Amino acid sequence: MRAAWQVFRKELLDALRDRRTLLMVVLSSVAIGPVLLVALSALVADIEARAEARELYAVGLAQAPTLQNYIERQAWAVHPAPADYEAGLLKRSFGHPVLLVPAGFERDLADGIAPRLVLVTASANQRAQGGTGAVARLLHGFGQEQASLRLVMRGVGPGLLQPVLLDEQDLASPQVRAAQFTKLLPFFVLMAVLYGALHAALDTTAGERERGSLEPLLMTPLPRSAIVLGKWGAVAAMGMLVAVVSCFSFLPGQWLLRSETLAAMFQFGGREAALFLALLLPLAAMLSALLMAVAIRCKSFKEAQANTTVVVLAVSLLPMVTVFNQGGEQPWHLWLPALAQITLMQRVLEGEALGAADLGLPLVVAALLTVLCLAFVARQLRAAALK
Amino acid sequence: MIEVQALAKQFVQGRGRARRVIDAVQAVSFTAANACITGLLGANGAGKTTTLRMVAGLVVPDAGRITVDGIDVAAQPQQAQARLGVLSDARGLYPRLTARENIVYYGRLHGLADDAAQARADGLASMLDMRPLMDRRTEGFSQGERMKTALARALVHDPSHIILDEPTNGLDVLATRALREALRRLRDEQGKCIVFSTHIMQEVERLCDRVVVVAGGCTVADGSVPELLARTGQTDFEACFVQLAFGTGAHAGRGD
Repeated sequence: MRAAWQVFRKELLDALRDRRTLLMVVLSSVAIGPVLLVALSALVADIEARAEARELYAVGLAQAPTLQNYIERQAWAVHPAPADYEAGLLKRSFGHPVLLVPAGFERDLADGIAPRLVLVTASANQRAQGGTGAVARLLHGFGQEQASLRLVMRGVGPGLLQPVLLDEQDLASPQVRAAQFTKLLPFFVLMAVLYGALHAALDTTAGERERGSLEPLLMTPLPRSAIVLGKWGAVAAMGMLVAVVSCFSFLPGQWLLRSETLAAMFQFGGREAALFLALLLPLAAMLSALLMAVAIRCKSFKEAQANTTVVVLAVSLLPMVTVFNQGGEQPWHLWLPALAQITLMQRVLEGEALGAADLGLPLVVAALLTVLCLAFVARQLRAAALK
Repeated sequence: MIEVQALAKQFVQGRGRARRVIDAVQAVSFTAANACITGLLGANGAGKTTTLRMVAGLVVPDAGRITVDGIDVAAQPQQAQARLGVLSDARGLYPRLTARENIVYYGRLHGLADDAAQARADGLASMLDMRPLMDRRTEGFSQGERMKTALARALVHDPSHIILDEPTNGLDVLATRALREALRRLRDEQGKCIVFSTHIMQEVERLCDRVVVVAGGCTVADGSVPELLARTGQTDFEACFVQLAFGTGAHAGRGD
């Protein structure tokens, strides 16, 4: 154990001396929280602003004074649509739906012939799409008003037109609604942890082989298990450092939230950070061992980089299961490393409580895989030194 | 004292049809006494490096027996390794650590306390004339500076036995001389048992008390330089070596 401690100290010192790599890893993991939150809050704030904007872009509205009068009474601002609105909508440079009013609108309305209005939008243009609902409701209101007026003129109560009343009730708590926006956060934290461990894992295995320093190391009277444990400890420490830094970067990151709604909904405090860490630290340990097991078979740093791409790819694709799988969370999700952590971090963000079983299962899986990978590295060590 | 008896090692390369069995070492035996420099002389691919790796406990022999001061390397590799200081073919250093840190790290791995390892590193630095290097990172060291650091690292636990695999590879004249001087002092002042492999005749002539000639994985001759010369009836050691290693039929152009 004392020998493993010596190896650990040296490997950690070595990794910390690699300032440039360390700086990039830590900077990106520190930046990740605030940058993501700022980007998300800008998006949400924009959507909110658009929903509240009450601005209508129209063509030919001047020919329909009744409609214009109604719209202005609802406190909407009316703007003429730009000439190239179609191209703008397609290229997404123009973000409002456009109302087309036909020339004979007023006459048809007076004659009781239903005039046809057209609301132009592009379904790939999300900003314009976001405003469509509000405009449609506005126009529906106009239709209701006209119908009521006609019924009243004929002596019929307008209530006849509304035999059923509908109220909407949203069951989703604020956290769940925010989680729709913050779905990406666990994924980025997970990747940061992976990249944090990656360089150190390659340097202590394939890098050591490439430098020719593994052979002398194995000629010291050290049990191989001590060498592997020490190396793994240092790699895992790097991964865990990044986990801690990136989790806590969300705390100050919250101050930068521009959207008040999101700020109210996204609650990431000490408890959430602690739960994130409880999930991420065992994963960092497991990923370190896995990366070392892949890299120890490689003769050079470069070869190891190519080989560990598979691990990086797997970790980044596993969370996709939740996207493809519309049936919601399945019990087997918790058996798969990375997917389990993403799923549970998601639950933390949604404000759900995690039981001991939820935390325990991924922990046991991670521990088991760690032991297996480390045993493999220890077995490969001697062969690796000679080739 | 290191005793090597009838050592053999095969390597298997490739799989299936491409499978090839290579007899790296077939029958190597020698004894390296204390306070004596023993040279393992052989052409490239004669099996010197594999033999030394087996002595160092890195490769497990298929047959034969190695003892270091009576300790069987196969049975008690860690006890044997504690008595050996090995400067192997691969002498990679950690580029982000200073020379001192590289040396002290190995001292700690051999179980020395921090202050003992530091003191030992200082002692080796003066012996190998590398004091100015000690607190520089080894990144960018010259071949000679690297070799000195690697040698100091191998000697940090003050081993009674020193094994060097082609130590003068890539060294210039001055560095080679300095190394030779250091080895002589280790032998004369501290009575170390030193084994080194080489394919350079000059080095053997100038340094070795005893020469073991290895060819095709077998020991073919064993003795001091004058003894080997007398046995072959040659006056030039190079010709003597060629005759011993490749038989009387082999003709090598006489060096001039």
